[in-house]
Amino acid sequence: MGGAQIQTCLPLCLSTNRRLKKIMYIGKKIRKIVNSEAGFAYLVLIPIVVLIFFMAYLPAIQSFRLSLMYYNVKLPWKTRFVGLSNYVEILKDSGFWQAFWRSCYFVVISVSLILSIAMGFALTLNQDFKGRSAVRVLIMLPWAIPPVVNGFIWKWFLNGDYGFLNGLLYQLGIISKYRPWLADPFSALNWAIMTFVWRFTPFVTILLLGALQSIPPEIYDAAKVDGAGIKSRFFYITLPLIRPTLVIAMIVIMIYSFTVFDEIYTLTGLDPATKTLMMYDYELTFEKGRFGLGSALAYLIGIFMFVMAYFYIKTIYREVEH
Amino acid sequence: MRYVKHLILYFFVALILIWSLLPLYWIVLSSFSHPVDLYSVPPHWIPTRVTLENFKSILITGKGFRGGGGITATDLIRKGLYNSLIVAGTTTLIMAFIAPLTGYVFARLNFPGKGILFFYIIGMIAVPSWPVLIGLFSEFSKYKLLDTLRGLIILSVAYRMPFDTWFMKAYISSIPRELEDAARIDGCSRLGVIYRIVIPTSLPGLVAVLITSFLFSWNMFLAPLILTYTLKAKPITVTISEFVGQYYAEWHLMSAGALIAIIPPILIVLVFQRYIIKGLMVGAFK
Repeated sequence: MGGAQIQTCLPLCLSTNRRLKKIMYIGKKIRKIVNSEAGFAYLVLIPIVVLIFFMAYLPAIQSFRLSLMYYNVKLPWKTRFVGLSNYVEILKDSGFWQAFWRSCYFVVISVSLILSIAMGFALTLNQDFKGRSAVRVLIMLPWAIPPVVNGFIWKWFLNGDYGFLNGLLYQLGIISKYRPWLADPFSALNWAIMTFVWRFTPFVTILLLGALQSIPPEIYDAAKVDGAGIKSRFFYITLPLIRPTLVIAMIVIMIYSFTVFDEIYTLTGLDPATKTLMMYDYELTFEKGRFGLGSALAYLIGIFMFVMAYFYIKTIYREVEH
Repeated sequence: MRYVKHLILYFFVALILIWSLLPLYWIVLSSFSHPVDLYSVPPHWIPTRVTLENFKSILITGKGFRGGGGITATDLIRKGLYNSLIVAGTTTLIMAFIAPLTGYVFARLNFPGKGILFFYIIGMIAVPSWPVLIGLFSEFSKYKLLDTLRGLIILSVAYRMPFDTWFMKAYISSIPRELEDAARIDGCSRLGVIYRIVIPTSLPGLVAVLITSFLFSWNMFLAPLILTYTLKAKPITVTISEFVGQYYAEWHLMSAGALIAIIPPILIVLVFQRYIIKGLMVGAFK
């Protein structure tokens, strides 16, 4: 059967010799485009530009449109344009403000805890000791695991009936009775922060370690000769020199801690005690089906994020230029 | 004095290790322990008998699971694992192909609109993902991408673009370009240069990019939570979260499930450790 096909195809090919030439001509042209700098660049970038448009910019525009409408998935016939009233409704909502301050608390505590812990880790890991490379790898593990599983690990770790923390404190004689650590609202929020801090510290540690290693050791030697102690060496040499990295790390932590979702989702779910802005918006949009209102809140969160990301990129650009 | 200094140093190292590994040890301990050992006050810190029964329950028999809707525990775990492997694996493969290209384009070529295009791609970082996700939901349902592996792959590839492009651009820029120029003069095509010279010389950077891409798509949760609704496409992160809700107090079984979900990323970190730390230090961004 294959032979027959070729036989019928042959005369057809010959008769379309002109077409073939055209195809070859186009082929040559394509090769020329591919080999020119601009042509090659556009060939690579155009599909990516389209992809990013559909996956990021267009949905961002669409949800902005949604934020100007009354749109409840459960009451689709009521959909109508309402202008900025979604934004007004949110800003007047006391639940929003509670979630907002909770998020701010989350960010402030996360930034200070992570920066100080990671600083301690980086300073320690910058010393010479046996098994240093192994330790460096092991501390990366919390960073690699899925945040949503991280939330579960801590939920079980803190469990009031059989959890690790209770067992440990009981064994050490610090508590005489098991405690439900996640039952009290304030303590639940703090433990949610702790969960995030645990996952995010390794990343910041590695960042700071990189910065510490880029400091030439001669500076320390010179300072030692001049009689500077550990403390003054840290405050007058180390800190100023790694300041750029500290700023970058701080902004990264701010961005990520402001939008923590996964950990809280499994740790406490939609518990009011840990309802940060993200949890609040998730509930509003996907539990209550109020897409319009949810989009408006998403945009308010987005504005905070944008401001932070703007400073992040600006800082990086400035540091790169240095 | 020196001795004391060392002692303090090792004390701190021990503290760091305890902090980083204790919660993980708890999960490992819980998933290999017999319930009797685990549910005592206080628990047995080292199990009296190591058992694989918990893994057997969630992977083969599904014992102890009370989830409804005709979905068994083994389905949740197995399907979730499969979906995650497909999504993360495909994303990584696609990035292995694209990242060197975009990195090369921005590091080596000159063309009109270069600055704008670079900003267009990097600017994605500043577009907050949360409002985007709400918009994506309606877009996905329009293009029939809701609840498909295809949709998740497209999404994670798109969201790896800015970091991977940025990283590869920086990495390729740091390599001398003489070799490429020589190959070009010898008649090597542009693609040939990329695959024969640029990729081999920037391999450490590329590996770092691919590892972070894999981890990113493996760990994705909020997007698939919203964009998938059956086992056809739910990744392991989503099925685990349901799992946790439906096993009630069977913590030893849930721990075994959680351990299964964290094994691939942990293995990757352990195997490719060198690249990750170097990559993070060079790149300074995730």
